[in-house]
Amino acid sequence: MLSFTRRTLLALSASAAIATALPAVAADDIVIGGSIPLTGVFAFAGIGIEAGMQDYIKIVNEAGGIQGRKLRLAYEDTGYKVDASVAVFNKLTSQDEIHLYYGDSTGFAKTINGEIDRRGSMIMAGASFATELNDPKAFPHQFMAGPDYSEMTGILLEYIAKEKPGARIVLVNSDTEFGRDPIAATKARAGELGLEVVEEIITPPTAVDVSTEVLKLRRARPDYTIFHGYVLAPLPEFMTQAKQLGLETKFMGTFWSMDSSIWAKVGEAADGFMGVMPYRYYYDEADNAPMMDRIREMRPEYQSTPYMQGFLTAMLFTEAAKRTLEAGKELNGANLKAALNSIENFDTGGIIGVPISIPGNSIPVGRIYRYDASAQQMQPASDWISVQE
Amino acid sequence: MQIGTAKHSYQADEALLTTRPQRVWMALFAASLCIAPFVLDNYWLYLACLVAINVASATGLNILTGYTGLVSLGQAAFMAVGAYTVGWMQLNLGTPFLLNLVAGGIIAAAVGIVVGIPSLRVKGLYLAIATIAASFILHFIFVNWQSVTNGNSGLTLTPASFFGTPLTEYQQLYFVFVPITALMVLGAANLFRTRVGRAFIAIRDRDISAEVLGISLLRYKLMSFAISSFYAGVAGGMWAYFFRVVTPESFPFVYSIFFLAAIIVGGMGTILGGILGAVFMTLVPELLRFGIDWLTPVLPNAAAMLSPVRTIVFGLLIVGFLIFEPKGLAEIVQRSRRYFHLWPFKK
Repeated sequence: MLSFTRRTLLALSASAAIATALPAVAADDIVIGGSIPLTGVFAFAGIGIEAGMQDYIKIVNEAGGIQGRKLRLAYEDTGYKVDASVAVFNKLTSQDEIHLYYGDSTGFAKTINGEIDRRGSMIMAGASFATELNDPKAFPHQFMAGPDYSEMTGILLEYIAKEKPGARIVLVNSDTEFGRDPIAATKARAGELGLEVVEEIITPPTAVDVSTEVLKLRRARPDYTIFHGYVLAPLPEFMTQAKQLGLETKFMGTFWSMDSSIWAKVGEAADGFMGVMPYRYYYDEADNAPMMDRIREMRPEYQSTPYMQGFLTAMLFTEAAKRTLEAGKELNGANLKAALNSIENFDTGGIIGVPISIPGNSIPVGRIYRYDASAQQMQPASDWISVQE
Repeated sequence: MQIGTAKHSYQADEALLTTRPQRVWMALFAASLCIAPFVLDNYWLYLACLVAINVASATGLNILTGYTGLVSLGQAAFMAVGAYTVGWMQLNLGTPFLLNLVAGGIIAAAVGIVVGIPSLRVKGLYLAIATIAASFILHFIFVNWQSVTNGNSGLTLTPASFFGTPLTEYQQLYFVFVPITALMVLGAANLFRTRVGRAFIAIRDRDISAEVLGISLLRYKLMSFAISSFYAGVAGGMWAYFFRVVTPESFPFVYSIFFLAAIIVGGMGTILGGILGAVFMTLVPELLRFGIDWLTPVLPNAAAMLSPVRTIVFGLLIVGFLIFEPKGLAEIVQRSRRYFHLWPFKK
């Protein structure tokens, strides 16, 4: 005969409650899918991106959603591995009807591109700003919520050309697809602007000992050194050794090495580091930036640069879906991309300091910031620079 | 050792499937493989294809490490050789995909022979280090042989096509990958009923004794490397048609560790072990996602909070298997078989 103890009954009822509980989802929700790295080497970005997207979705839903339809983020961890990202894509698209998707890497964006084109039902953005993806012919259903890597270095070069015409530049890139991405375009643009690329240094992505490279830097005596393809290491080591050698070069970076909380841990050696940032920082005070005020209201503590990227991506997804539905069109890849490309002089609520347009796959706008170690903040060093042709 | 299975002929003694329940289970398994693509959704079909690729590669590594006793940490690099070969042939020659896959295997086998040369002088951890070195050399070639590999950007393949039909859906790819893997596994199982396979086992058990018995170490060690790399090359080729983008970062070093872990968890030196290990290593991280799914209704943002826990649980499962079942998952299957063989007459 079966007999139940109180503990068994409790366990059974708890399991039943979990098994039968249904998430608060409605059939007509607009679902944003996401292959997001919450573990692994890129977890710091994924955690920020997820929070940013969730916050914007909350704002939209509190305002009534899109034509009464709520937004929902369905996402899973990828560990920043392409096969896991594709698995998540297949899992989520098997569970929900998804028209908007966030991908976590260049590898995933390239791998899934054929499938997205074949399905024709969604648009995709993501953590990659690869120059290769900024091609509406090859990647017709993708976009990036910022400038591509070549446009980022282009913005840096515009700044340099204005600050010091004819400046000498050294490029330091990691030996990865990410790192080598903008080299050719940077050299070409530098030539056009009358700047001189005097040395190219390629390092392993996680290089620790960079003394040989710093000696190369010393020989080249550049006015500016542009890093790309790193998050942090080996930048602090470069900067510390260069300072010890008395080099006057100014160090610069691109978006993924621009989070101020990362540099705060480096301390005094980080002072003066500059770079291109497509969005405002959490602590930036500006007039007419209601979204920045809203973010600070929702989250009183500092939010990272990936948070801002996730927030803006969700905003652009929403805008594309809103425009498509307002036009009475079906939510599919072609209509959503056309709606996205119709965005012109769009006010992001201060996330980007100037109105933006998305004629292709990128938003080629950014601003130069300089790290102030005493304030532990990135301070604006230029106005917003657009490299839109 | 299974008792109570008296054989009446040499043929019966050498059969791959020795008992009736084994044949019945295998028939059921084969039938379920045939039905699977019609009942599984895209997600499970994707995983089934990925499992097929990983089983092919793990079986190859099992031939080398499990049966011949030569530890290799270069399996991912051999897969990359196969993938690049397939990609290059697809883009430059436009040859049929089956031919490309075989070529991928052959080129990988050739590279495997070269990488295997140090195995004539060193073994164990020293050989493992030699294969790691080979992996890094190959990675350097993938990055810098621009005209063939397209450097860091890699190769983007068009879909494989079968009589003019592009194989873009997972269901179509399943019908290609699963039979190829099944053939490869069958080949591996048969290999150990031949002189070659038994020579591999002899080398693993005691190489000096094997040489005394007349087994040429040079020939058979390199042959083992060649066969193992051939399997990896074909698996890499399938991988290339599956993901359709091959870059130097597609086959990281950790992928080699994945395969070594797969055969250890599954059971080294058994065909079933390679299969179970690859299935375990591929599917368990995915199955753990469902734990998070079940908790989502009661724990908002469960994915963000519990994803690191998922990784820890996966690691603990591997450690658990190594402690409680050092002979691998295959041994659990064997023990179950022995238990049910005489059931209900045995406790």
